[in-house]
Amino acid sequence: MALLPPEEGWYYKKVARDEKMWIAIALVVCLTLFFWMVVWHVYGRQNPSFTTYRTTPQEFNALTQAFIEKYKTGEMNGIPVVEPPPNSDVFLLGKMWRWEPVLVLKKGQEYRFHISSLDLLHGFSLQPVNMNFMVYPGYDYVLTFRPTSAGEFAIVCNEFCGVGHHTMIGKIIVKE
Amino acid sequence: MEEKERKTPFLQLVLDDFMFLLFLGVTIYAVSYLIWGLIELAWLSPIPAELKQSLLGGK
Amino acid sequence: MFRTCDITGLKVDTRAERLIQLNAVMAVVSLLIGVIAALLLVLTRWQVVHLLPVDWYYRVLTLHGLNALIFWIVFFEIVGLYFGSTVVLNSRMSSPKFGWLALILMVLGFLLVNATILTGNADVLMTSYAPLQAHPLYYLGVILFAVGALIGVFLFFANLLIARKERTYGDSLPLFTFGLVAAAIIATLTLASGAIIYIPTLLWSLGIIKSIDAGVYKLVWWGLGHSSQQINVTAMIAVWYLGAFLTVGGTSINEKVSRLAFVFYVIGINVASAHHLLVDPGPSPAWKVFNTSYIMYIAVLASMIHAFAVPSAVESAQRRRGFTKGLFDWLKNAPWGNPAFSAVFLSIIIFGFIGGVTGVVNGMEQTNIIVHNTLSIPGHFKGTVVGGTTLAFMGATYYLIPLIFRKKIAFFSLAKLQPWVFGLGIAVLAVSMYILGAFGVPRRHYDITFSGGPFTYTFNPATDFFWVLFALGGITAVVGALMWILIVVYSVFLGEPVRGPQDMQLQIAPPPPPKENHGFEAPGTLTLTLLFMGVFLVFLLLNWGWLAAMWEVR
Repeated sequence: MALLPPEEGWYYKKVARDEKMWIAIALVVCLTLFFWMVVWHVYGRQNPSFTTYRTTPQEFNALTQAFIEKYKTGEMNGIPVVEPPPNSDVFLLGKMWRWEPVLVLKKGQEYRFHISSLDLLHGFSLQPVNMNFMVYPGYDYVLTFRPTSAGEFAIVCNEFCGVGHHTMIGKIIVKE
Repeated sequence: MEEKERKTPFLQLVLDDFMFLLFLGVTIYAVSYLIWGLIELAWLSPIPAELKQSLLGGK
Repeated sequence: MFRTCDITGLKVDTRAERLIQLNAVMAVVSLLIGVIAALLLVLTRWQVVHLLPVDWYYRVLTLHGLNALIFWIVFFEIVGLYFGSTVVLNSRMSSPKFGWLALILMVLGFLLVNATILTGNADVLMTSYAPLQAHPLYYLGVILFAVGALIGVFLFFANLLIARKERTYGDSLPLFTFGLVAAAIIATLTLASGAIIYIPTLLWSLGIIKSIDAGVYKLVWWGLGHSSQQINVTAMIAVWYLGAFLTVGGTSINEKVSRLAFVFYVIGINVASAHHLLVDPGPSPAWKVFNTSYIMYIAVLASMIHAFAVPSAVESAQRRRGFTKGLFDWLKNAPWGNPAFSAVFLSIIIFGFIGGVTGVVNGMEQTNIIVHNTLSIPGHFKGTVVGGTTLAFMGATYYLIPLIFRKKIAFFSLAKLQPWVFGLGIAVLAVSMYILGAFGVPRRHYDITFSGGPFTYTFNPATDFFWVLFALGGITAVVGALMWILIVVYSVFLGEPVRGPQDMQLQIAPPPPPKENHGFEAPGTLTLTLLFMGVFLVFLLLNWGWLAAMWEVR
């Protein structure tokens, strides 16, 4: 009785058969969900990374500019285009309201992305594959990607970063 | 369920003791979420020197 | 100091009653602001109309979040806490003075926050992620509101201690109040997290502290932001039990199970603030998996227990009244003409099938990659906090008006319709938002054609259809909410007084006859919950299958 104190002996009342059945099923599902996440870290191919480094906007900017200089192949709408070799460290920075640089990658190869921000929080949202990660200033998030599809991909910013937020869009090109 | 003398079971004492539940809830949250999380954020290591060297050279 | 209610027979502390009334009024005012903002937002994000200019879009979004998600809900929860710890227990308000202080602080906070937002000094959205910065008065407003609410929560515990000492109830609290205990515990740590993060943030906005670490801010902030939604869940479930009792005389078929489930909330639900950090640079996956799973899904287990316990309370009571034919005769003959019943029942369905199912997928570490910060997230919490909590609270007010405000419900036939309009609108809105998010559409985004950006991107053309559904659902929900506000405001300020039991439009159900049948106590509920489990597992597998088709990442 939700409004009145429970009746005498409520503690000893037996649990009904159907309620017991339901709780048992729910418990099994819940434990499965938990261990599923652990197991996916071992066998699954999409997992958030274990690696993050502490950095500063100045340091990260210097590293990104050096990275761009090293592998730059051109420019697109005022943003440098960079083609790093497979298995290398790739730097991508977000700032109000640009993603730098444009990356050219090869399908099926691994790249260690270092992603960070120079100012506010940004959201790395890769479309149309729809993979989403957060980008902080002061944190170098290291995500090892292996593109499994080719074509042009957009990096949409999906964390609010001021009035120009909706103009913050970058590009990744994946070649066969 | 008979009339025999019956002490309030331990679990019922726990269920009835709302101040203990308050302590339990706040402690678990503080340790598992807040303190553990903040320690991990505080212990992040800097970007490895070799990686910085390879891009920036001697700079 | 006391009056005895001629309808329920409960002793009512009139000083508590006054505070309950004023907090309820503030709740309705907040919801009204939230709803008007919601309409503007729906008409802006649906880019066929694209109503607001860009700065006003984010301003109104901030306004909407704070009023609909914080002020409305917390004011209403204070109503529940005072009611559950005084009237329900036949007890008195520990300190009406502090009750007034709490109210004044909360109202001051409410005014400061809304004023700074509307003058353009806090375009930071509800989360106000540092290093994004608002005017110091904004942070001060949030702090005042939180401190006021915290005083209210402490008064609740003080009321309980007095009631226990004066033995106004037996050894165990009524289940409704016990549920509120769980909610108040969660509220304590929620508001404490708020203080831990907002006080340094205020100092930072004044220039006294040099910087706030983005990761630390986000971690502690979600201790406030997400846990506050867990208060809502817990308070909502307490209201579900209350609704089952008032409308059909249903009581949990096993109080021990229901109480244990509330304790599971106390243990496990708070750490799920980690849901918001799953694809963030820190902390580690070990922290993420442990915390995001509510400590091995103990809180999800609790929700599933409640999902059985509340409908089975209704079913058991109905069966004892003689509605024993087949699986669902009890449901068909439920008091559908009672808006409190339909509100609670719709709240259960929407919370479970939309909010709950999507919530677990969003909250699993890896599947979060495909939903984080997309429109799926607000789609999910439209299912929990709007279709679930708000609708349940709306249902509860249909009893609050005659019992606490002593007024008849105005436009009663409109009231019967109201939960359906609001529930249907929110359901359509939530599902269409979730699907738009699955297409990758971001949340909190002014223009998904990216005009002015260096590149462009066009979302799948199927999204056009779901945007129309989004607008239809949103407008319907706004209409449903305005209906409720009209009914409540008219009843309270202009309605006919309730002079006694003969003026009650909603019955308070007498207890059903004792149980006779053996075997299954609630076969209909079991069928419904198994159906729910089936839907849940299919949805889960779909999402994991989809995740497996993404780029590889580690």
